Amino acid sequence: MLDFAEEIVLLQLDYAETRPIDLPLSAFEIVIAGAAVMELALRNRLDADLDRFFLIDQTPTGDAILDDALLLLDRAGAEFGPRTALECTSDHADAYRQMALQGLIAKGIIVERESGRYAIIDHREERELKDRLRQELLTDEIPDPNNVMLICLVEAAGLIGQVLTADEVARTRARVEQISRLDLIGHAIAWAVADMRFIVRH
Amino acid sequence: MDFAHEQAGDAIIVRLAGKLDGSAARTTEANLSQVLADSEPRVAIDMSQVDYLSSAGLRVLLLVAKKAQRAKGKLVLFDCCPNVMEVLSISGFDKLVPIHTGSAAAIAATR
Repeated sequence: MLDFAEEIVLLQLDYAETRPIDLPLSAFEIVIAGAAVMELALRNRLDADLDRFFLIDQTPTGDAILDDALLLLDRAGAEFGPRTALECTSDHADAYRQMALQGLIAKGIIVERESGRYAIIDHREERELKDRLRQELLTDEIPDPNNVMLICLVEAAGLIGQVLTADEVARTRARVEQISRLDLIGHAIAWAVADMRFIVRH
Repeated sequence: MDFAHEQAGDAIIVRLAGKLDGSAARTTEANLSQVLADSEPRVAIDMSQVDYLSSAGLRVLLLVAKKAQRAKGKLVLFDCCPNVMEVLSISGFDKLVPIHTGSAAAIAATR
């Protein structure tokens, strides 16, 4: 079982080229910070309504990435917005990415070929992840809440093309939009990620 | 969050009361999952006494709706108050799960 940070890093690896897909590091830091924030929501540490984000439980999760992000969010105040959540956690995002890569290595899914270059050696998790997301996107079934969060993140990261063909991407625009709205935190973080990625690129 | 349920013909009416937020999410999910344990469950949730719905609460409703669909059952909501309806509408949840006015219409919609 992978966490969001590991799943997003796995999708980001271009296994054919054994190098990360072309995302500016600062943009990917925002994405991986978003992964940590979303996972905290799924672990019932963070909640939100239409106006604000707020921590509901500061109990450590036992996961190094999440517990660090939890501490950083705790310092953000009693209530904060999605952009603040990303800004305060993205400072540590490079470390989160390294931890996620080490987690994937420890699980025997990837190996480090040389500094900064990785290869997927066990494709089962990657296939399962893509199949799971494809199932949600290519049917009209009620989506699983975990997959809703991940689709929010994958879409915001510009990685939907890693899951769907170009034709499928075009056909599923409405479905992606529908799913992405179904989680208040996922949707707000996805918007903030997309907005901050745009600023990084320009 | 208060939780009660009653049989109404071949459907079950669940009555929730209070705030459906992160602090109530796990218990409410467990209670609703028990009600959905039957094969082809038909469940109508009375939301009239739910005065707050957070992201965590919305996730619970999505999860139990998913469970009902997997079990080839039907889950509907009814009598949502305006601020709860706003969350359900903005999120698009109301496009996936029917929301009715009145228990009679809700029970009929579970068939």
